[in-house]
Amino acid sequence: MTRVRLKGVTKRFEDVVAVDRVSLEVKEGELFTLLGPSGCGKTTTLRIIAGFELPDEGSVFFDDEEVTYKKPYERGCAMVFQNYALWPHMTVYENVAYGLKVRGLPAREIRKRVNEVLELVGLKGLEDRYPNQLSGGQQQRVALARALVVEPRVLLLDEPLSNLDAKLRLRMREEVKKLQKELGITTIYVTHDQEEAMSISDRVAVMNRGRILQVGTPVEVYTKPANLFVATFIGRSALLRGKVVRVNGGRVRILTRGGFKLEGVKLGVKSEDAEIVAVVRPEDFSLRPLSGANVIEGEVELVMFLGPYKQLRVNAGGERIIAYVDPEENVEAGERVRLYIRPDDVKVYSAEGWEELEFE
Amino acid sequence: MGGSAADKLRKLSFYLDPVLATQLLLPTAVLSLFLIAPLLLVAYVATQYSILDVLSDPTYFSLKPRGSPVLILRTFFRGREVTIVKIVGVSFGAVINSLINAVIVTVGATVLGVTVAFVFARYEFPGKTALRILATMPLLLTPFINVFVIRKLFDWRDGIISWLICDVIGLPLRLGIDSIAGVAVAQVMTFFPLVYLNVYSSMVNIDPSLEEQAENLGARGFRLFRTVTLPLSLPGLAAGAALVFIFSLEDVAAPIVFNEKRFISYQVFSKFIEATTGQLSPIAAILALILLSLALTIFASIRRYVTLRQYAMLSRGGRWKPRTRRPGVKGLMVIYLVLTPLLMFLAFPQLGVIVYALSERWTGPLPQGLTLKNLWSIVGDPLVSRAVVNSLTYSLSSLALIVLLGVSASYVIARARLPGVELLDLLVTSPVAIPGLVIAVGYFYFFTTFFRGTLLDPIVSGPSLLLMLAYSVRRLPFTARAVFAGLQQVHIALEEASLNLGAGRLRTLISIVIPLISLNLLSGALVSFVYCMSETSTSITLGGLGGVGESHQAPITFIMLDYLNRVGGPHIVASLGVLLISLQLLVITLVNVVFKQRYAYVGV
Repeated sequence: MTRVRLKGVTKRFEDVVAVDRVSLEVKEGELFTLLGPSGCGKTTTLRIIAGFELPDEGSVFFDDEEVTYKKPYERGCAMVFQNYALWPHMTVYENVAYGLKVRGLPAREIRKRVNEVLELVGLKGLEDRYPNQLSGGQQQRVALARALVVEPRVLLLDEPLSNLDAKLRLRMREEVKKLQKELGITTIYVTHDQEEAMSISDRVAVMNRGRILQVGTPVEVYTKPANLFVATFIGRSALLRGKVVRVNGGRVRILTRGGFKLEGVKLGVKSEDAEIVAVVRPEDFSLRPLSGANVIEGEVELVMFLGPYKQLRVNAGGERIIAYVDPEENVEAGERVRLYIRPDDVKVYSAEGWEELEFE
Repeated sequence: MGGSAADKLRKLSFYLDPVLATQLLLPTAVLSLFLIAPLLLVAYVATQYSILDVLSDPTYFSLKPRGSPVLILRTFFRGREVTIVKIVGVSFGAVINSLINAVIVTVGATVLGVTVAFVFARYEFPGKTALRILATMPLLLTPFINVFVIRKLFDWRDGIISWLICDVIGLPLRLGIDSIAGVAVAQVMTFFPLVYLNVYSSMVNIDPSLEEQAENLGARGFRLFRTVTLPLSLPGLAAGAALVFIFSLEDVAAPIVFNEKRFISYQVFSKFIEATTGQLSPIAAILALILLSLALTIFASIRRYVTLRQYAMLSRGGRWKPRTRRPGVKGLMVIYLVLTPLLMFLAFPQLGVIVYALSERWTGPLPQGLTLKNLWSIVGDPLVSRAVVNSLTYSLSSLALIVLLGVSASYVIARARLPGVELLDLLVTSPVAIPGLVIAVGYFYFFTTFFRGTLLDPIVSGPSLLLMLAYSVRRLPFTARAVFAGLQQVHIALEEASLNLGAGRLRTLISIVIPLISLNLLSGALVSFVYCMSETSTSITLGGLGGVGESHQAPITFIMLDYLNRVGGPHIVASLGVLLISLQLLVITLVNVVFKQRYAYVGV
């Protein structure tokens, strides 16, 4: 098992800084995800690890060996490409056997290992098919088998599920996670889908504009976002702009633009009078009074029943809030409601970078 | 960090592994040595002499026209009083003649080509496929002999047209087109499909909604054509017209067959007749430099419309369902009564070549006697059969080099992330724009100067190796472009997946890249091969340097020229023409029908 380390890796394409001083460490046998919007530098980072790109600065280590200048074929990685990159002129068997043939293994050994891996990914019996005779899900499995069969030091997955339909994506997500745990291969996974990242990863690195903004377990990243970008990129949130009224230790008192005074958790707020954004997860709103809670009042504009909860769109003094409430609650559009939020669930960030956020 | 020389070297070696470096250096070295160096030598030799020697000599440059364009004569001919009208053209010396001729031919070919393209691109009518095939027939290369047939059409004595007017219809008139005018007519007839194919390809690639929008706003008929269709076809028009202009400048076949020495191309060619002694008149270098400058100027000036890359290979498009309509009664009459006879007339030379090959005699207006003995002479006549073997040997050897260079260069151009790759691209494609005669002159100086007395000296060892190199360089663009097009369709991830699994560059190239582009490679190679077989400019100049003995080293086209003026020779030349036509048809069928490669090609 291999540990992967990046130290101060920077990559520019002409004037664009694709990867900006990225340092990270992927532990042995860990499933580590690079998560971020498209163009955030996650795929470039993966390609640097695979050896397809040379960083302008910084270095890459596999365990204690520096591999920055090693050619892709000298690294012992195996990658699953977004479009699978199955060779159309080779059968399933030939595709999977290729990496073993390159390694000069005896034919008998190759046959044994290809058969084993095809069994593992559930493709037994399809050896003689050509890629264009397979469904998307089957192609995906061939790509995975082709990478796994060489027992790579590091497994690299570049948006491997993005070309599958929604149902299949969920199933393959589980299978990938199960296989990875069984085989214990150090795995780096790239995706823009935050739900996929949350569900599959041991740890997640959230990237934007070439930088790593936060590294942590899915729970940490969700419950304690390090900054405004992470808070808004991971999960849905209600955003309330306003100003700091008073800083009090770890707590902060704010006045929102809609005129509500709220108590919240201070995260990256500098001083009184500073412009801030308060972030509240939709599930943290309640229509029932909670002791010591903040209160926001507004008019319900839209009610949607979504099964596990009802989604309300509330206009609170000019600001739109999305709140999930108990599906049993009897609430109609046009009604005025009071929403209760615990101070611990109001996360207050500096409004710096607000303009750069992209909203749905 | 990042700046030191050692660091730069490390970065370079990351992107440029030994295989890729070889693929970059090999074509660069070969083309620098066997294309750029000879051309520079032409320029050097030319500048050793005063260009005024050429410009002050009325043979080459004169502002006073000589001769009268039309000769009208009333006389008795074969016992009958007739009016003889001979169109011959006037001469301003070889340099001006070549230029004026090229302009006239370009205009003529453009008018014909655009008209034909428009009809085929916008109208649907019964028999269209047959007419489209007819329209491309003049592109089947039959060096010299097709012009020989054209001359036979317009000969005032035994020409077919005069025979029809005077002997069949009975008018006391005999029409002849000869000399400078004959060259112009022959070239228009031969080259108009270049414009037709290019413009047609542009027109079928026009988004139909653009024309529909214009019609919607009230533009109809000729106005629609002038304001929308034609401007959108300009890239094809520019490409086609530029090709015609350059082909006309460097064409030797028509001036030779019409025995019209007052053209640059003929003058360059004629200097080679004395070159077996090892000396080539410096006038050849000056004229070659003029040819080269003209060709490069033309290509540079239309760069905003088309890149060099597009010349070697034209997309035949088909992205849109072309907007065609059925012509009305008047339109159908024009198509069947005007266009069809016109296209048949334009394709007549190629049909005439076949008739020539199969006839015993064709001295009068009509051929006589059906025979296969001319075709048999391809095998039976030792000089001819030797030429066929020579051409095959040269073409196949060249092909090996072409494939090696074409795959290497195109791979580097398509994949390597290195500064200056565009220069290699330009280098590989440029032979399309360089007249073969200039290469012939350059090779003569280059190999007799720097390789004197060696195996590569054509005076000592004959022209075999020079021809192989000339063919390789001149026909490289066809294969290189086809491979490049293939590589563009191969997703780079397919190669990365192989590298990623531990395969090196060479293994990836052999087991992944080449199998995936095999059809493109094969098609490009076949096209290169067929144009090696029919190569004319360097073949008839350098090809004679070994003499014309029993063990001659001359290729097919040289022997075609040599036999043209022998008694009964034209029939044998026509047989070789039939051989070349068959080869070309075979390749076209393989490439288009069997390999399903969608591109048209153009022989230089």
